[in-house]
Amino acid sequence: MYCTSMLLTIQHSAALISLIGALVVVGVVLFLFTTSDQGDEKHEAKKMVYALRGKYFLGLAAVIVVGLVITLGMLPYPKFQTEAPDQTIVVVGSQWSWKMGPGELPAEPKKFKGKSTITLPPGKTIQFLVTASDVTHNFAIYNEQGVLLAQTQAMPGYWNDLRYTFAQGGTFKVLCLEYCGAPHTVMTGKIVVEQ
Amino acid sequence: MTAFNPEDRGRHKKLILTWSITFLVLFPLLIVLGLLMRMNQGEVIKVDNATFYSYMTLHGLGMAGVLFSMAWAAVFYLVGTRYVKLNIGLGYAVFLLVVIGSVGLAVATLIGKFAAGWYMLYPLPFIGATWKAWTTGLAIISLIIMGVAWLIGCLHVVYALSREYGGFTNLIGWQYLGKKPPEKELPPLALIATISLVPGILAFIAGAAMLVMYLLQHLEPSLSFDALVQKNLMFFFGHTLVNITMYCGVGWLYTLLPEFTGREWKLNKLTVYAWNATFFFIVFAYFHHLYMDFVQPTGLQIAGQLASYFSAIPATAVTMFGVIAQLYRSKVKWGVIPTAFLLGVAGWAIGGFAAVVDSTISINKVLHNTLWVPAHFHTYMLMGVVLLILAFLYYLGSTEKNRDLSPKAGFGFWLFVAGAYGFLLMFYLGGMESIPRRFSEYASSGIAHTHDTGALLAKVAALFVALVLIGLLMMYGALFNGLLKKDQAPAK
Repeated sequence: MYCTSMLLTIQHSAALISLIGALVVVGVVLFLFTTSDQGDEKHEAKKMVYALRGKYFLGLAAVIVVGLVITLGMLPYPKFQTEAPDQTIVVVGSQWSWKMGPGELPAEPKKFKGKSTITLPPGKTIQFLVTASDVTHNFAIYNEQGVLLAQTQAMPGYWNDLRYTFAQGGTFKVLCLEYCGAPHTVMTGKIVVEQ
Repeated sequence: MTAFNPEDRGRHKKLILTWSITFLVLFPLLIVLGLLMRMNQGEVIKVDNATFYSYMTLHGLGMAGVLFSMAWAAVFYLVGTRYVKLNIGLGYAVFLLVVIGSVGLAVATLIGKFAAGWYMLYPLPFIGATWKAWTTGLAIISLIIMGVAWLIGCLHVVYALSREYGGFTNLIGWQYLGKKPPEKELPPLALIATISLVPGILAFIAGAAMLVMYLLQHLEPSLSFDALVQKNLMFFFGHTLVNITMYCGVGWLYTLLPEFTGREWKLNKLTVYAWNATFFFIVFAYFHHLYMDFVQPTGLQIAGQLASYFSAIPATAVTMFGVIAQLYRSKVKWGVIPTAFLLGVAGWAIGGFAAVVDSTISINKVLHNTLWVPAHFHTYMLMGVVLLILAFLYYLGSTEKNRDLSPKAGFGFWLFVAGAYGFLLMFYLGGMESIPRRFSEYASSGIAHTHDTGALLAKVAALFVALVLIGLLMMYGALFNGLLKKDQAPAK
């Protein structure tokens, strides 16, 4: 679970990993630029490169397998969540507002009576059941520092089950992250987390 | 062995020049739309939302269409002048249909303000539209016309190659997997074109089915379709189209780079296995666009991550390795063409790596639909595909005796590359800072950091886009001079 007090967010980690990858590529490019004039027998050089082929692919395969093993254990889907939800919130996205509130899944999302601002407790696992009444939207929770914490799509005809625990109190913003028509950017909501 | 006469080469040259000049005219115009969007996000100019999103729609559809069309045309030219006779009339028919479709999209977006985005996520084109209904119909029909053109074009190339090389299994290199050496050597371009265009054919059929459903709903609004199924069809179509655009470029990299290094680049068992694996992974990788649709079966989500990770090895890593083997101590003369090839592969690798990071489900949950997404696909397209296309265009305009370019073209090239990486860096920083993609402005978010950082990055990015345009236009003198020179023999 994401912790709002973490210094290095998932986003920063992803950027750092990508930067390392990019630097490796830049290093290879510079190496090729600077070594192209070296050596006497150009066909020998090609053989030297091919001699490293096994190690190169083994190394890459190892990186990929390690990456998969580490990351596939942290999926955001309900069946991978170990904690049972403490509270359920229904969320309906409609052009161009959010309706949120407790209750049963409505037969007709359009008629759901919710509000664009809700209050939730900290430290509790919240189950957000998310859908849309018209086009596809994306329910995204941001903290006050503008860090994206969690998201799921709001798609007409489907209910997506997003679990999230607000570690601390504060005011959180809901944005729509799926383009849903010209006024897309004004589709916001608010989650106040307090005891 | 197919014999090629000079007339055929000349006719092919005229066709590829038609495609190339169209590309060189449209590409900067589409960049200007991107520049206007970044300037609006940076609060340098103010355009209304309807206009902003119509620009975004045309920029996305236009770039994907123009780049794929140019990539296909380059493959058509190289295959048709080196390996097998192709129907040039069909090549012109594809061009004509693509132009008709492009004009339709331009009218729908620039005049009618059609603004459903490049992937027109169902059912957005039909609900709450700020544009007129006729523009939706025109956009759908235009895309169908372009899709049919690409379908015909891909089928023709694959069919002709298949006849030349003794059937489809030979075309995907299976004769290299036995103990005996193949009777007839398969050029890498033939293999890679097939591996690219066949999934393209499947994607165009899926896209056509989806667009016909769109058209039916447009004609009969009481109809409706399943949003999740439509989304799967759209991304199978869209993701595959973008993916194979790059692979077409890799096809001519394998063909042309050896002419500069003096080293052969032939198929072997490893490359055949690698590209066959790519063939498989291309089809499943699009699932990573649907990670945030939690109702999509989890098995498909995991398949999306596996396919995205493993597709990196066969295509990118094998090609990267091949490029290193081609260039290391090769005594290559670093003119713009081999430089563009090397940097094109590097851009593909950098963008591809950032894409693999984003294709990790547990990371995608906080990067999805942020600026990280345009960051990696713009890297892949602008510093990957476009550089490979520029390498091809320079090659096309050069002669065997003179593959060098004027210093001015070289300066323009480096300005283009520097501007592009500056522009891309702003996207990556935006993704790292959770700035949403597809926001016409950031003030409405109500989050100070999102607004301040988003607007600042967009403003700086706009400056870099200006450098990209200046660099590109500086290359045009040398490019057009080479392409339009009448007295030279066509490039081989």
